[in-house]
Amino acid sequence: MLVSSSTASGSRSRIKLGMWLLLAPLCLWLLLLIILPHIELLSFSLSDPDEGGLTLSFYGEFFNEPLYWRTFLRTAIMSILATALTLVIAFPVAFFIAKMIKGRSKGILFAMCLIPFWVSELVRTFGWMILLRESGVISSGLQWLGLADSGVELLYTDATIMLGLVYSAMLFMVVPLVSTLDSLDDSYIEAGYDLGGNNWNIMREIIIPHATPGIVSGCIIVFMLSLGNYLTPVLLGGKDSLWFTEQIYTQFITRFNWEQGSAFGILLLLLSSLIVWLGLKVTGQSFTKTMG
Amino acid sequence: MQTDAIDLACENICKHFSEFTAVDNVSFTIPQGSFFSILGPSGCGKTTLLRMLAGFESPTSGDILIKNKSVLDVPPNKRPINMVFQHLALFPTMNIEQNIGYGLRRQGVAKAEIAERVAAVLKRVGLPDSGKKRVDQLSGGQRQRIALARCLVLNPTLLLLDEPLGALDLKLREQMKIELKQLQKEFGTTFVYITHDQSEALVMSDQIAVMNQGKFEQVGTPHELYYQPKTAFVASFVGDTNRWSGVVKSSVNQEDHQTQYQVTTNDGLTLDCVSQSSDIPVSSNVDVFVRPEAITVSLSAMDNCLENQLECQVENILFDGAKSQIIAIDKQSGGCITAAMPQTADFMGLKAGDAVYLSFSAKQALSFSEKQGEMNASL
Repeated sequence: MLVSSSTASGSRSRIKLGMWLLLAPLCLWLLLLIILPHIELLSFSLSDPDEGGLTLSFYGEFFNEPLYWRTFLRTAIMSILATALTLVIAFPVAFFIAKMIKGRSKGILFAMCLIPFWVSELVRTFGWMILLRESGVISSGLQWLGLADSGVELLYTDATIMLGLVYSAMLFMVVPLVSTLDSLDDSYIEAGYDLGGNNWNIMREIIIPHATPGIVSGCIIVFMLSLGNYLTPVLLGGKDSLWFTEQIYTQFITRFNWEQGSAFGILLLLLSSLIVWLGLKVTGQSFTKTMG
Repeated sequence: MQTDAIDLACENICKHFSEFTAVDNVSFTIPQGSFFSILGPSGCGKTTLLRMLAGFESPTSGDILIKNKSVLDVPPNKRPINMVFQHLALFPTMNIEQNIGYGLRRQGVAKAEIAERVAAVLKRVGLPDSGKKRVDQLSGGQRQRIALARCLVLNPTLLLLDEPLGALDLKLREQMKIELKQLQKEFGTTFVYITHDQSEALVMSDQIAVMNQGKFEQVGTPHELYYQPKTAFVASFVGDTNRWSGVVKSSVNQEDHQTQYQVTTNDGLTLDCVSQSSDIPVSSNVDVFVRPEAITVSLSAMDNCLENQLECQVENILFDGAKSQIIAIDKQSGGCITAAMPQTADFMGLKAGDAVYLSFSAKQALSFSEKQGEMNASL
């Protein structure tokens, strides 16, 4: 009795040790790359470089300077818009892949969504620049067709930024959508038709409610990616792109104002958390449900 | 025949999938208010046939008539047919009320009337308080009834059921069989039920069609299928049966349409048997089928009038209460014969190794001339 209980507790402690070893890389990653830098950011943003001690002046600066908070608002609105656009474009694609086709071609189509992401984001964005610049492929094509007299500059507009954002985030919307739509048994859709439903209300009452967790998790990922994107707005939007990450970059690198940059970083974190929380509340989803 | 009482008529329905023929020239009619079953092994084309009735597949040729009107051009959401799916397909994102009300909302019925009709149908299926429950809060049997209610609330001309009892455990299945039949009678709706389970079909149906390899082998009442099977497939698929292959030695025509044959089986027995067809030539191959429950078991040889008597030794007894069976080895041929265990006191002490005499009349030994394609009957 004594022997067996001691071995039982021994194996239990071994299981515990194994679990900690397994969790160690995750904990280290969280601690070193996420938690510590953010504590550092927070302390930077609140410290006064001249006199020492705590100050809220860097946060005050954000609200006093219209350029800052307007850029902030613009970034948020553009990101929400990009998320909505990505959803609208990705849903039919995902529905087609998950429900309309069967067998081999399904895998091929899914892979075709994936393949562009084997190329680095920088190279893909340059690809867009080659297409869209004044002496680029589309511009020359328009001139050759006689539709334009001189070179057309398609870069450096909000629409171009939007295009880039939607393109770079598309996969992250398609994947969760395909997996939730895949899990919807065809018989539910057939039952919908059998009971007199048409395409529209089957979509509204059966497919979309089923796909909501996938839609929400896709939207969260895409929104986060757009909000924190730096390359796409800078390269496709040019100098006037006015993206908030750019402001952070400027503070850190150009102005050497690390305190201001840190305050902006913390504000961006708060903003994204707030919008995600609002989104979950509005759709009635919980975070664990959409991620699980 | 008064044609207005026919709910569904299928005329020469065929369905080909590139190389494969799923449904091969099937015709039948179903009278109003009846319980019609299509019984067949998996892969026989019964699901394809049902999906054509529902409108999810269209037949390659042939016509489907509901109340004498062709519905080939009518999409599934406009047909007066509803279907209970194999796994029921109750919408998990809606509660029970919303599930049942789905079809009514599609018809644009007013909200108050929907609530009224949903409550009424819930009461009729015996679940009056479950309207606000979620689908996963109900048991298997209750879900079954909700799936039925969801269709029946729409008053369909025809209700299709695709093996809906398959997912239930045995006890519940037995109970649901009776309940389904009861509900069908109460609502008076025509049911088309497909199953591979002969007992489900026999218990519930008014008419059964036995389907094999895309064709209807026989359509008849459960009684007809069981006692007068027309093909070897039906004889072997419906109910348990003993089977011998053999060669016809001689034939005698009798008064009552039947011909009596004498058959020598491949393992050397001589059996007297009958056949529905009178044209089996001497020395052609036949299969002889005898049901276990048609065999009289006795402990000593009987001087009775039964044409066939075999001296056997009990090999094993499969005890299953009232459905217990004796597996006996025939002394002459060494073949295995299954017979129903009589439930009388004489046989209480029967054990392996005992000698028994198995006898059956020629009338209960049905023979069918052996044809290609009927050999894979699943016994």
